[in-house]
Amino acid sequence: MILQLLIDSALLGGLYALLALGLVLSFGVTNILNFAHGEAIMLGAYGAFWAFTLWGIDPLLSIPIMLVVGFGAGFVCFRYVIERSLDAPHLNQILLTFGIGLILQNAAVLAWTGDLRSANPSYSMAAINLAEVFIPVGRLLTFTVAAALAAILYMWLTRTEYGRASRAIAQNERAAKLMGIDTRFVYSLVFAISIAVAAATGAALSSITTITPFIGFHLLVKAFAIMVLGGAGSISGAVLGGVLLGLLETTVAYYVPEGSGWAEGVAFVALFLFLLIRPQGLIGTRVHG
Amino acid sequence: MKVKLRACIAGALALSTAAGAANAADTIQIGAPLELSGRFVAFGAAGKRGAEMALETFKGEVNGKKVEFLFRDIQSDPQAAVASINELTEQTKVKYIFGPIASVMFAAVIPAWRQQKPVWIGHGSVTTRTEEEVGGERRFFHTYPYAYHYHQTMSAGLKSIIGSGKKIVIVYSDDAYGRTSLPFARQFYKEAGFEIAGEELVRQGAADYNPILTKIRRLRPEALVTLVQTSDLVTLAKQIKIAGINIPYLVDGLDVLLEEWQKAAGDAQEGWIGLSGYIHGMERPASKDRPDIFPSLSDWEKRFRDKYQVEPTYLDAGAYSAASLLLMALEKAGDDPDKVVEELEKLNTETLVGPGRFTKTSTGGTVHQAFESLMIAQRQNGKSIILYPPEVKTGEIKARTE
Repeated sequence: MILQLLIDSALLGGLYALLALGLVLSFGVTNILNFAHGEAIMLGAYGAFWAFTLWGIDPLLSIPIMLVVGFGAGFVCFRYVIERSLDAPHLNQILLTFGIGLILQNAAVLAWTGDLRSANPSYSMAAINLAEVFIPVGRLLTFTVAAALAAILYMWLTRTEYGRASRAIAQNERAAKLMGIDTRFVYSLVFAISIAVAAATGAALSSITTITPFIGFHLLVKAFAIMVLGGAGSISGAVLGGVLLGLLETTVAYYVPEGSGWAEGVAFVALFLFLLIRPQGLIGTRVHG
Repeated sequence: MKVKLRACIAGALALSTAAGAANAADTIQIGAPLELSGRFVAFGAAGKRGAEMALETFKGEVNGKKVEFLFRDIQSDPQAAVASINELTEQTKVKYIFGPIASVMFAAVIPAWRQQKPVWIGHGSVTTRTEEEVGGERRFFHTYPYAYHYHQTMSAGLKSIIGSGKKIVIVYSDDAYGRTSLPFARQFYKEAGFEIAGEELVRQGAADYNPILTKIRRLRPEALVTLVQTSDLVTLAKQIKIAGINIPYLVDGLDVLLEEWQKAAGDAQEGWIGLSGYIHGMERPASKDRPDIFPSLSDWEKRFRDKYQVEPTYLDAGAYSAASLLLMALEKAGDDPDKVVEELEKLNTETLVGPGRFTKTSTGGTVHQAFESLMIAQRQNGKSIILYPPEVKTGEIKARTE
């Protein structure tokens, strides 16, 4: 049972890390809490679902498509909407992104109604059985996507010019400007990447969860918790936070009577206690690799 | 100049108010606060379609008097629902209310409804809280089964199909639906002779059910009874399929027979057992006394498909039947709420979803209850096979094997 618990924890942790990756990146650099992040995931999930339903495109193949579409949409959204609030108080930024989220949610209801959807490719209900344990293939693929995206983002932040520029801005925007970095462009780039990651996350989730226009907020709350636990702005913190939260929830669900119902509550109490001891989170600085 | 302008505005307002009053006098207005947007939009949309189609059947009038449904979008928001009821009853002065549907919306509007107590066709809400609050009211007519009707029918049906003495595990969610349903599920399954080997609480919206499935696997139940929301049942059904747990009978309520659940669950729907007052594609002859309103189910389904280009659901057929009962009572009583109540109490006709007759519930908590008769069906090869009651049975139960 312990081996199964560890597998379940890792798979859930991977899913949680995936939810938080894009959010962590955009907050770390632009310092804007994007309350529409959940809706970007929701739209990515719908994109993959419709691509699968209408044209038979596998949700996994939709991931690169969603990355491109998400990047474009994120770039345009930042340039024409979010950028105007960069110097505004945080409350205004929150209200703006929250409003965008509401618009996207209601647009999804108008376009696709509130009906439940889920993509069902052949592997979504397959499992790898190894002696006493089993590994659901769909969730294993989600875990793999999470690991790949985290690795790519890490490489981008540490090995590329724009990645290093975005870290420089996160550390000191004024100094970065003096060094000749086009901060507005880097902000747009980072925000676009964060939306691309969110849309890809949605595509990865499209076969393992139920899609409705209203899933965004629930996902956002979880992503915020992971971001706080891991340390705002840290990619490795998001991964670590996701895995830790997954382990906590799964352990409670396995060993506490009626634990599945209490898992989230217990995990959030643990999160609260942890923050009392280490308020900056596990890895508590702004964006770094 | 300002005085003239004010006089003009006042005059226009007076004229429009007078015109509205005259219109109200010539028209029977039925307030319809429904979830036309937000998370319960599927409920509200079905309620609206049913009411619209019923009105169309009556050609928009009863006894030469125009009838109008005043649809209000309550946005799946309790506060908006209360505001809509207040506006409809206090300002527009409607004497009849049709909606809302979701249990949580129902609970929210009860205090506002009490202010004027219009005749209320309550086509929704499965929680007994509704029964406790308004079930005893003479102007309240509940046209949807309560949660206990599900468990009463399912436990009796399963007992007759697979026999009692079987070991079951109940999975319930940490929301109002799961928690209010659990005591009834316990009571009726125990009374039917089933052994409850375990109860597992799950969180609404959970992403991972493997921990509870691991526990359930060890209990080796012969049936799993789920009391969870439709969206959670999609994830749960998929994860049961993935885990390959050999539970012969998987049992839920209404969700299993909803087309949207079936589509979302995909192959994981196979073998699931559910119940409903209407099963798509079933045969039901036309009403003997009012075939003009309640034609054969296949004729009605065709008309519905032609009008809306979608397949009807239990909520569509139920809303149509409930709205038609109100219109039939108006036809006989005219626009007098007390007389309409009397006519509703006298009704006895076959509808699309069973007998259109208001009786007291077995608990005695609701004095006017209709449409509580349900059928049990199992998903077999993508079709719903009716298992119970025997008189409408279309096939035999199949135990799942993994």
